Amino acid sequence: MRKHALVLVLLALLPGFLFAQGTKETVAAPTGPVTLTIWGRDIPDTSSDHIYVHDLIENFQKDNPDIKLEYIALGDPGLADKTKITMATGVDQLPEIIQSWGGSVMGGYADAGRLLDLTEELSAIPGSKAAQDAMSWKGKIYGVAPFFAVAGIFLNEEIFAKYGLQPPTTVTEMEKVCDTLLAKGVQPFACGAKDKWPPLAMYMYLVNRYGGDAFGSAQARKIGFDDATFVKAAKKYQQWVSKGYFGDKPLGDAYGDAQQQMASGRAAMMVTGSWMCAQFSDPTFTDQKLGFYAFPVLDGGVGKLTDVMGQTDIGFIVTKKAEAKKDATVRFLKYAMGVNACSSDPGRICSVPGVPAKNNLTGMASKLFSQSKTVQFWWDQDLPPAVTSPLNDTIQSFFLPGSDVASALTQFEALVADEVGPVKK
Amino acid sequence: MCDASLRRHRLYEEEDIMKGVDGTVLTISSEIRKKTLRDRKRFVFFCILPAFLFLALFMYYPIVETFRLSFMKSSGLGADRYVGLENYRKLFASEEFRQGLLHVFLWAFWSIIIQLPLSFFIAFSLTFYVNRFTKPMRAIFYLANVLPSAITAMLGKFVFSPTNGILNSIGVKAGWKWLAAIDFLGDVHVAFWSVFAVATWAYTGFPIIFLMAKIEQMPKDMKEAAEIDGVTGWKYAWYIVLPNLKFPMRILAVLCTIGSLKLFDLPYMMTTGGPGYATITLGISLYRQGFINWQYGRASAIGVIILVLSLIFTVLEFSGHKEGG
Repeated sequence: MRKHALVLVLLALLPGFLFAQGTKETVAAPTGPVTLTIWGRDIPDTSSDHIYVHDLIENFQKDNPDIKLEYIALGDPGLADKTKITMATGVDQLPEIIQSWGGSVMGGYADAGRLLDLTEELSAIPGSKAAQDAMSWKGKIYGVAPFFAVAGIFLNEEIFAKYGLQPPTTVTEMEKVCDTLLAKGVQPFACGAKDKWPPLAMYMYLVNRYGGDAFGSAQARKIGFDDATFVKAAKKYQQWVSKGYFGDKPLGDAYGDAQQQMASGRAAMMVTGSWMCAQFSDPTFTDQKLGFYAFPVLDGGVGKLTDVMGQTDIGFIVTKKAEAKKDATVRFLKYAMGVNACSSDPGRICSVPGVPAKNNLTGMASKLFSQSKTVQFWWDQDLPPAVTSPLNDTIQSFFLPGSDVASALTQFEALVADEVGPVKK
Repeated sequence: MCDASLRRHRLYEEEDIMKGVDGTVLTISSEIRKKTLRDRKRFVFFCILPAFLFLALFMYYPIVETFRLSFMKSSGLGADRYVGLENYRKLFASEEFRQGLLHVFLWAFWSIIIQLPLSFFIAFSLTFYVNRFTKPMRAIFYLANVLPSAITAMLGKFVFSPTNGILNSIGVKAGWKWLAAIDFLGDVHVAFWSVFAVATWAYTGFPIIFLMAKIEQMPKDMKEAAEIDGVTGWKYAWYIVLPNLKFPMRILAVLCTIGSLKLFDLPYMMTTGGPGYATITLGISLYRQGFINWQYGRASAIGVIILVLSLIFTVLEFSGHKEGG
């Protein structure tokens, strides 16, 4: 019986030995092109949203026949979830390249030793400083961001012209515009508050316009997130919600609904990222004429028109798995940052110099970006992951009727104090 | 092979009885019997081993690991740190978790109060009144149960969307301002019920089929005897059928409760747990803590709480039950 069991065990192990032998041989003598696996968010089709990734994958392989790309589109939140799980299990199962927005999430992976430091190879690539900062962590560069988005106001110029309105440059002017639009039966703002993250764009600006770099101070733990600046901005936001600036059912509308409200002319303005430029310029998506403007300043406030909120629009980071294929990986990243590759995108702001804007909206957004003096990274990409979803919950609570915004901010500050550290006195 | 072993075992037992007076023969027979028993045990052990290994690897180990992680501060990246009961303390102090807990209890309660009687009502109607109209209804009622959750959620949003949903459009077209004004998915007081309504439609298919099978298994003479006594229609349902479905109903109540504790897909896809925390569940909170907030320890603590609650409710709902049927 024991002999039989031994034979069975050996038989069971035999394929393993054979397989292991075969793998060793393959590794020892590689032939053919180097394969780089990329996990992406975007489906590589030819729609205006995805054409850059589509062309990048196709053209890079044509121009570099010695490198084969295996692009796997995982969508959102699929990419984030799968990356997180795989990062937790180690480096072996990771791809060489991952589509990423950089920031604190990338920082977490870098701290865990999962990313490849490419500072030497990538620091000389021409591009905007904000985009490079977004893909850097603790002084090291881990990837590239060929496209960078800024937040601003998409504004329906036809509706404004119809009612004799001018794009507002101060918050007071903006409130007057909103009151006029409401009186004419037009919803002033589209938002998509049901999805929790879209209301952040306007709140970031309101906080900046009230108190300048209050976020930076809170992040550095010089003040709390329940500081008077944050509370004043939240109360203003809540006041606008209660006045109906975001419609009768602001919490029922998702981000997609908000886009439709703008596309159909039901809403006149939307504060969001410039990633919408291509879609809002597409005549098959909307017949409205839209413009892109800076968020107004506040009379007596600290923030300026040149203080802009932004984040990576399309970016790539490199994992430690690529250590043995560093040359091929760097070639891909440099190609992704090339003028030719970036020129295929119809509407994003390119962080590479020499790529002209493809439409009026992108031109306006690019101008805002180029004129900016400070670029604050989107808060939920800049704070540690432990507090980002509570941040979005807190801001969504400004839309709940009768909610105590000061108390909500105090609760959020308590969480930040717990996770990041208390305010330094 | 197992049968042959049992047959042999029985033969040796007979041999023992027949030659019990002869000591030598009895000794040999006992040795053979012992060896056979050993072989049999070994055989059973090897039969069970693959299933046990599978369960140990994919079920028991994750459960043990979840318990361990629930006492750790862990981001999933880097070293974990022991924090004792801190994760549990923080969970019970957080509004998100408390609301999630409340919602799964409410969900379980209303599922039992609404979905089970509704399922019984439909199941009895479809088995008692059998005709060419009710036959296709069986498939129709079960259809919603077959649909993937993503499709069900999409249909739910199609009905309840605040601007172009079916109900809203009806309200606008018919001039019913009260209906058009309801924000089915964005009002904190209504969103829970909108999601629950979709769930009731989607999840009652299984209880209906389950109860129908049980009702059809009931002896026909019971129905005939009831008819002779003048107990027909809904009186028959109330006095005869329902008491006979006590145990199946209890099983369904347990399934409803456990399903509620684990609830994730439908509320997540319809409202992502909002507005605010109006539709958040323990499952959504677990996902958010683990995958979005990188708080594996706290997510594990929620997992442990779901497991413990499931066990408690299962025991409670079956306690006091002595006989089947």
